[in-house]
Amino acid sequence: MDVGQDAIRHLSEVQVSVELETEDMTLNIGPQHPSTHGVLRLVARVDGERCYDVKPVIGYMHRGYEKLSEVRTYPQITALINRIDWVSGYANEIPFIVAAEKLMEVEVPERAQFIRLILTEMARISSHLIFMASYPLELGAATPLFFALRERERVLDLLEGVTGGRFHPNFNRIGGVKPNAGSGPTTRKTPQDLPAGFLEDTRDAMDHVLSVCDEIETLVAGNEIILARTKGIGILPPEVAAAYGVSGPNLRASGVKFDLRKVENYLPYDRFEFDVIVGENGDCWDRWWVRLQEIREAAKIIQQAIDGIPPSGPLQAKVPKIIKVPKGETYVRAENPKGEMGYYLVSDGGTGPYRLKIRSASFSNLTILPWILEGVLVPDIIAVMGSLDFVLGDVDR
Amino acid sequence: MVHLLQGFADLVAEAVGGRAEILHDTVKVTVANEGWVTAHSVARDDLDLVFFSWLSAIDWANDVEAGDPLKDEVEERLELLSTVGDLTEGKRVTFSTTLDSESPVISTLVDVYAGSNWHEREAAEMFGIVFTGHPDLTKLYLPDHFIGNPLRKSYPLLSREVKPWPGTVDVEGMPDSPTTENPGA
Repeated sequence: MDVGQDAIRHLSEVQVSVELETEDMTLNIGPQHPSTHGVLRLVARVDGERCYDVKPVIGYMHRGYEKLSEVRTYPQITALINRIDWVSGYANEIPFIVAAEKLMEVEVPERAQFIRLILTEMARISSHLIFMASYPLELGAATPLFFALRERERVLDLLEGVTGGRFHPNFNRIGGVKPNAGSGPTTRKTPQDLPAGFLEDTRDAMDHVLSVCDEIETLVAGNEIILARTKGIGILPPEVAAAYGVSGPNLRASGVKFDLRKVENYLPYDRFEFDVIVGENGDCWDRWWVRLQEIREAAKIIQQAIDGIPPSGPLQAKVPKIIKVPKGETYVRAENPKGEMGYYLVSDGGTGPYRLKIRSASFSNLTILPWILEGVLVPDIIAVMGSLDFVLGDVDR
Repeated sequence: MVHLLQGFADLVAEAVGGRAEILHDTVKVTVANEGWVTAHSVARDDLDLVFFSWLSAIDWANDVEAGDPLKDEVEERLELLSTVGDLTEGKRVTFSTTLDSESPVISTLVDVYAGSNWHEREAAEMFGIVFTGHPDLTKLYLPDHFIGNPLRKSYPLLSREVKPWPGTVDVEGMPDSPTTENPGA
């Protein structure tokens, strides 16, 4: 009898230890998927619950801006580059304009520099608020969206009041900002400055932004499901991030204290006090947390800039009517909301560039996907991808 | 500032065996074709330039199909550029090397900086550069069957061929538009 039971047990063990022949499945995500922020297709090999060999397929939105720049004049190009990263269109303009100004050796008036800086930080806030809205939504928490988008609208209204555009301001001119800045009737004899009450409204809006940051923090940081889905997920070590060219909040979340606002001089950031926020573990949670803190820092910078802005003064340096940029090359990079955005500008002395290389943050941030998605659980694909905060317009250019 | 930059430029040039110049705050170090990968390894390992920023090329050509031609005649060539930087003080170097326009071939940087993978794929499809040793030199943005290298100066911009710029002139102004007597109003 014992022998019989042993035999049965043995038999069952044999059956269990038999390797099941399973076939790998290929999973297609996108090109149209809410979490892709544009049109991105992922092809992954799925083995059980984990995915391997992830291949992002991009180019659905490739508009060829580098080629188009070669047939356009410098002032026309700002209209194009607004549309690279449409969530922070204003910030895209800055490094290009600064590159052209560098070659022309134009000194930008202080007041114009302050206006640029305030609006750039506003673009950062609005971009990060979109992330604050969409990322918890992708993980199933809908409430933060309403808080974040309400404040973003407040910031965009101010941006629109100055530039006339919510998303695509096209506001910078070589040598300064649009001389007739602001709403209302404009003539050449009486150039409009900032709209009346703009600085007070902005200060007020920053208080609102700071308080909504607290609200969002309570909503998200107290959400057990979000914590479980982001802590320890999608860890990105700093040396890998650097080799792949991952920049901006994604890099800082991995613990690298590096911010181009501190080391480059494209705008007068050295006059303001702000902290470079770094994360500890480089996981999805840190990437969310770093962005939240960056909104607070940006609001702090704007408040200091409102205090320090020269009350009056020219908005535009003297530049010729037809902009011709002297022969030369330079690379100017800036800390955009998404990371390092730069332009390698090659001029031959004409009215348009001979070559314009656009280094966009999201492109390099996206190259990490095959590495970071290797072996993650299928539902975590969305959590990891969302935490990198890319915009496909910025990837495809 | 300029003095510091010059010192750094000389340091890099000496370490990688190239020629340095400063172009409006941008340190550009030109290296030989064969020394391309070595220069990057040295930059990463000895100079602590661990951050890979971008890689692309310039097509120096005398006949252009799109855009303005160069004012002075140049030696026809492709210039391959890459930029790497550190993550502490904000130092950065743009490496440059010259490739033959007809058959541009160079070794890949993927083993030094993993991030160059997609940048090289882009340069390959846009300029026709062959990166030897690249793991997957397929098209990145363009469809698989696409013929030609769009960022070459010899490649026409099709939209401009179909409809020349600047198009028709607006002869009729908008209602209440400024007249010629008061153009600025």
